[in-house]
Amino acid sequence: MKRFERKGKKLVTSFEPEEVQLLHSLVLQLVELLDEHGRRDEAAPAQAPTDDPFAFWERDLQEHPDQPEVPEDPVLQRLFPDAYPHDPRASSDFRRFTERDARAAKLAAAQVVLEGLESCRNGRDLKVPLDHADAWLKTLTNLRLSLATRLQITDAESAELLAALPEDDPRAFLYGVYEWLAFAQETLVQSL
Amino acid sequence: MGRMSAPGGAPAAPTGGTAVVERPDADSLTQTPWVTIVWDDPVNLMSYVAHVFTQYFHYPRAKAEKLMMEVHTKGKAVVSSGSREAMERDVNAMHDFGLWATLDRSE
Repeated sequence: MKRFERKGKKLVTSFEPEEVQLLHSLVLQLVELLDEHGRRDEAAPAQAPTDDPFAFWERDLQEHPDQPEVPEDPVLQRLFPDAYPHDPRASSDFRRFTERDARAAKLAAAQVVLEGLESCRNGRDLKVPLDHADAWLKTLTNLRLSLATRLQITDAESAELLAALPEDDPRAFLYGVYEWLAFAQETLVQSL
Repeated sequence: MGRMSAPGGAPAAPTGGTAVVERPDADSLTQTPWVTIVWDDPVNLMSYVAHVFTQYFHYPRAKAEKLMMEVHTKGKAVVSSGSREAMERDVNAMHDFGLWATLDRSE
């Protein structure tokens, strides 16, 4: 790919067909992860509804005895971090009140990227309207956070170790993708 | 943070002996007991973090860059302060941008 460059009210680059394919499949994986998480979340409170707030809280407490519903998948943990690091109860409440919308927002941003990718099949330039820039930046970030978690990039040193891997190491390809996403994101920010 | 763009291309090492501990706006903190903290992470690019601070908080470029450098060199920065409700909104927005943010009582 080339650097993103601003042309009028559009941020323009060109992807190779295999880059479009790769990005498309990464975004679909992200969507699937977020969707799955959502379905599991919504399946849980599918018991008889109650108007009695005390019954609701009682059941809620039984289901989540003093434990925040931290997602098990480490990628989801990073995409939806604890808001209160020293207060599991408050973190749990925060999740309960925000996570559905937070997930929907990430899905909406991913959808913008998928539509953009559709428009640049057949080797056409990718033209991101200015008001789609944040959806692109957020989605590229979500993808990079996901890959970094899988690659166990926890600090600058672990990233450097990955950069030095021999090409035949299975992690080398993923790390290459991670760096490619960084290039896309960096030039997109700079083109604004 | 990711290393792609130290401003001006210079390596983003903290410069020794020049550290000035800046307290975020003392007045607003005493009246508003909650803060939003953004933590350093090895993934998010410096340019992007600064972009988020200008985009979401509407901070001027210089302030956004300064906060970004504080996150990068000190490991975290207080990026906003206010009511608990407002800080939950800010933390939620930071998570939407993919930054690692938490809220806490201000000291």
